[in-house]
Amino acid sequence: MTRQARGGALCAALGLAVLLTACTEKLLAPGHCPEVCSTFALTMTDTILPLAIYEDSSFGRPVGYISPHNATGLVAKSVPGRESRPIFRTIPIPSRIVVNGDTATGPVVGVDSLRLTLTITARDTAAHNLTLSLYAMPLTIDSTTAFHDLDGPFGAAPVRTVNLDTLLARPGLKDPVTGDSALVDNSTRRIILLLALDSAQAPLVTADSGKLAFGIRISADSRASATLGAQESNAFGPVVTWFLKVDSLGAKTIKATRLAQPAFDGFVFDPPALPIGSALVVGGVPSARTMLRMALPRAIRDSSRVIRATIEFEAAAQLEGTAADSFRVVAHPVIADFGAKSPLSNARTDTTWIAVVPLDTVRIDVTRVLAYWTTNTQATTMMLRQLPEGAVFAELRLHSSVVFAQRPKLHLTYAPRYPVSP
Amino acid sequence: MRTSRLMLLFAGVVLAGTRPARAQDSQFGIRGLGIPGRWESVRARTTGGAFAAFDAASALADAAMVESTVLTSTLVVAPSFRSVDTPFGDADLRATRFPLFTVSGTIGRWAVGGGFSTYLDNSYEVITRDSALVRGEMVSFVDDFASDGGVSDIRFAVARRIGPRLALGLGLHAMTGSARITAVRVFTDTGRYATVRDTQLVRQTGFGVSASALLTPSPRLSIIGYARGDDEFKTKLDRNEVGTIDLPNMFGGAVRLTLGQNARLAGSVTYRPWSISGPGAFNTLNWSAGLEVGSSVTAIRLGGRAGQLPFGPGTSPPAEWGVAAGLGRVFASRHGVMDVGIERLVRTGSGLEEVVWTVLIGFTIRQ
Repeated sequence: MTRQARGGALCAALGLAVLLTACTEKLLAPGHCPEVCSTFALTMTDTILPLAIYEDSSFGRPVGYISPHNATGLVAKSVPGRESRPIFRTIPIPSRIVVNGDTATGPVVGVDSLRLTLTITARDTAAHNLTLSLYAMPLTIDSTTAFHDLDGPFGAAPVRTVNLDTLLARPGLKDPVTGDSALVDNSTRRIILLLALDSAQAPLVTADSGKLAFGIRISADSRASATLGAQESNAFGPVVTWFLKVDSLGAKTIKATRLAQPAFDGFVFDPPALPIGSALVVGGVPSARTMLRMALPRAIRDSSRVIRATIEFEAAAQLEGTAADSFRVVAHPVIADFGAKSPLSNARTDTTWIAVVPLDTVRIDVTRVLAYWTTNTQATTMMLRQLPEGAVFAELRLHSSVVFAQRPKLHLTYAPRYPVSP
Repeated sequence: MRTSRLMLLFAGVVLAGTRPARAQDSQFGIRGLGIPGRWESVRARTTGGAFAAFDAASALADAAMVESTVLTSTLVVAPSFRSVDTPFGDADLRATRFPLFTVSGTIGRWAVGGGFSTYLDNSYEVITRDSALVRGEMVSFVDDFASDGGVSDIRFAVARRIGPRLALGLGLHAMTGSARITAVRVFTDTGRYATVRDTQLVRQTGFGVSASALLTPSPRLSIIGYARGDDEFKTKLDRNEVGTIDLPNMFGGAVRLTLGQNARLAGSVTYRPWSISGPGAFNTLNWSAGLEVGSSVTAIRLGGRAGQLPFGPGTSPPAEWGVAAGLGRVFASRHGVMDVGIERLVRTGSGLEEVVWTVLIGFTIRQ
């Protein structure tokens, strides 16, 4: 290699090394306005649009979006002005059960014992001596059963009674006398109650194929309120475990276990739900939803960035219940506007926590919904619903646009388009 | 023949593979149109820019193309390392740019050339913290303003000797470029206030003409005068035309002394009335002086420059000074030239100081 070529190679290597070192760009630096920042700044505009909601209606009475028979919770409540009692009916159990591990079956000849599993998913922790009373119900109960249809069965003596506070105070959360026990999940605050029943309390009636029906009343020193898991709530529904005696083909009697999940569960309540009337209603039992059709100014929808958006309603009635009955209201954009049956989008939703306190103005957050609308051409219709739905008696009653002075308003904070000028 | 193919390949790769030409970035360009580019080859830039008006590979004065008698193509690569010192915080930044590409040659008695160079660079990203009253409560947020882009100057130029002592040059310039401007505001309380993100594409186009005259009263002395008239930027926001910006003309002159067979000395002065482009812009006067020592095979160069920048905070133009040094080496039977150098620039104004180290690498292929 000549000296000249060596020099060229050295220069090339040097250049390559520098290029590799600096080939990544780093431009980020601290700034300060107005000395070292762009001559144009993002601005924020805060405005109230009283006419943005041009149509509003509520749906869900008398048949709710979620009714007691398909709610995720079974509400037990006994407070002045509200009584609610969970009821459920189990599936039948087979009259013959496989024995000795082959295909041969033996008849069920008796019941050793039963265990009823109930899951308390929510309760008012301020209530003392919370007591659950189990009543035998007719097997005819279903989603059409009304509160007063069961006055007779609930007027009879209870099958079992369990004081929750007493049970939870026992060592190991077990009552050695009754055989009841409890499991407490501290992370979710769920309490699983395992109630022992004997064949006298829950007899096996062959003519009914072993179906059982129970109703639950709740009582406490005050504020008796709890929610039990329903079969719609992913395995937290009431379950009866049968410990059966089976004839092993005449040789001896063996024991077998069968689970009986609910064929139906729900709750009956009094007084019945109020009609929607001229108000906007969100939640309650059966659950109602409110649909809002909105018209955003083009300048906002086409070229602005939503920072915060809330809809301000004036309350038409106060919430029912106590602090334990607080709930969430979720705003969903609709995928397509088909009125009350519009499919809801779960992609961009807003959630507002509603505490059971005296209400004046109710502000529902709709920031993500409006931001979503500024990015597409979908229908600017949203639906407000309650969570948990169909399992909370507290319902928002809000003034609709029928009364102009009290109509809902959109409070919008947005950034107009970044103003780049020539 | 092989060299011609090599040059065509080189030019093709450069034109296809590089982004629009951009010079180094600067915090001083944030409050204006950007930071003006340097239309200088590595050879000229390592002399502080003093030789740019006499350099056929630079794009400053078209008349200088008469000094190139063969088809020549030059590319400049400039990685820069920038430290920014402000009262509000410091930062170390880096970027790599391709600020210049030129081609020149002869057709008959005419010298013909062209290429692209940076007219304005407008790349930056700054973060600011602030708070504002929103719905009756003070809400704090962080703003991130970024611009990525610049304006390139595409040049077509001709030059011709008018007698043994005078050469004239004329150039046409098309300026075109874009910058993607992004503004992001992130609130401290992200649960209540949604993040704002806005991106817009700003396109700018304009036209200009340049003229220059190279006078050589004696073999040891060359004097060149150059001027350029730029019309205006037509600005489009996304696809909508939003207005125009007047662009400054340019006037300058340079002198070159040949001290001997292996030493040359040059100095230049350039004036640009940038204040025409709008409020917050300043007229600039820049000068440079440089020395080149060496033979036609190997040369060592050094130089300095000083002057003003057209945009910056405050009521007076930011100042800039710098020094540069480098060397050039001819190889491949004089068909290839590699120039390397290093430049240190210091920019100050309104409490802001910026120090830029730029490594300069130039590749030249000659027929």
